[in-house]
Amino acid sequence: MTTTSIGSTTVPTEVERPETHNVAAPELPWLVIVWNDPINLMSYVTYVFQKLFGYSRTKAHKLMLDVHYKGRAVVSSGPKERAELDVARLHQHGLWATMEHSG
Amino acid sequence: MSFRRRIRPARSGGYELRLAHEERALLTALPGHLISLLEGVDETPPGDLPDALRRLLPPAYTNDPDAERAYESMTRQDLVEHHRGSLETMATTANATWLDDDQIASWLAALNDLRLALGSMIGVTEDQAEPPVGDAHQAEWIAYLYLGGLQTELIDVLEPTLPEPSPGADDLVPEDHWGEPPGGLRWDGTPQPRYP
Repeated sequence: MTTTSIGSTTVPTEVERPETHNVAAPELPWLVIVWNDPINLMSYVTYVFQKLFGYSRTKAHKLMLDVHYKGRAVVSSGPKERAELDVARLHQHGLWATMEHSG
Repeated sequence: MSFRRRIRPARSGGYELRLAHEERALLTALPGHLISLLEGVDETPPGDLPDALRRLLPPAYTNDPDAERAYESMTRQDLVEHHRGSLETMATTANATWLDDDQIASWLAALNDLRLALGSMIGVTEDQAEPPVGDAHQAEWIAYLYLGGLQTELIDVLEPTLPEPSPGADDLVPEDHWGEPPGGLRWDGTPQPRYP
């Protein structure tokens, strides 16, 4: 993202650029992905999405259908620690979850 | 055809269990087998796990071996303990006629763990409702299908007990940045079933 400086002269831009990089990098979220598998019941996957993430039944059902028909779906995103926690909770519930950087 | 619910909410809280003797025997024995498989896997990398455990202890990072090793060392023991705890609860309460809320949650987890283990062992593929003709794993197939039926009943009972959705949670799910998968295939390369 750009930093605004009055008059857009070169001097403030040079000063602010390193800060901008430092701030922007950690903001790229990690994506938590659930993969299709032939064992987990569709009703169970929908139940787990509601239980773990507080999604509505409609949203949880749509995410489950994406997993089933497209093969994978992003079910949450956030900082690395948060994504690892979500993956761990999904693994405890037997879902096939991985995480990757969205960058 | 009459349908008798095997698991139902009890009036005074908790859940009533009405299972046949043969079912209770199976639900006592199967968790024990899986618990013994889980012994000593705290250090085993996912690639070296037996088929039955691969789905119970999956990787978090598939493209970054260093990150995966760090993740495993941080989470593996907890995950094994979680599976073991649910399975032990099922085994020790398989003859009960009533379960509390925590015990029923463990049953749901244990049923799923057993299905993941059995399904991986017998190589279940998508939407298979019966074993292939002449398959050598008939007993495992019967157990697998039985557990799926019981788990379906349990989910029907538990879904109405979920708390209200968290306000705004739905809006936090990021858009699918992959879009639609290539025609005829899912993103994981398997054939894409038709929408119902």
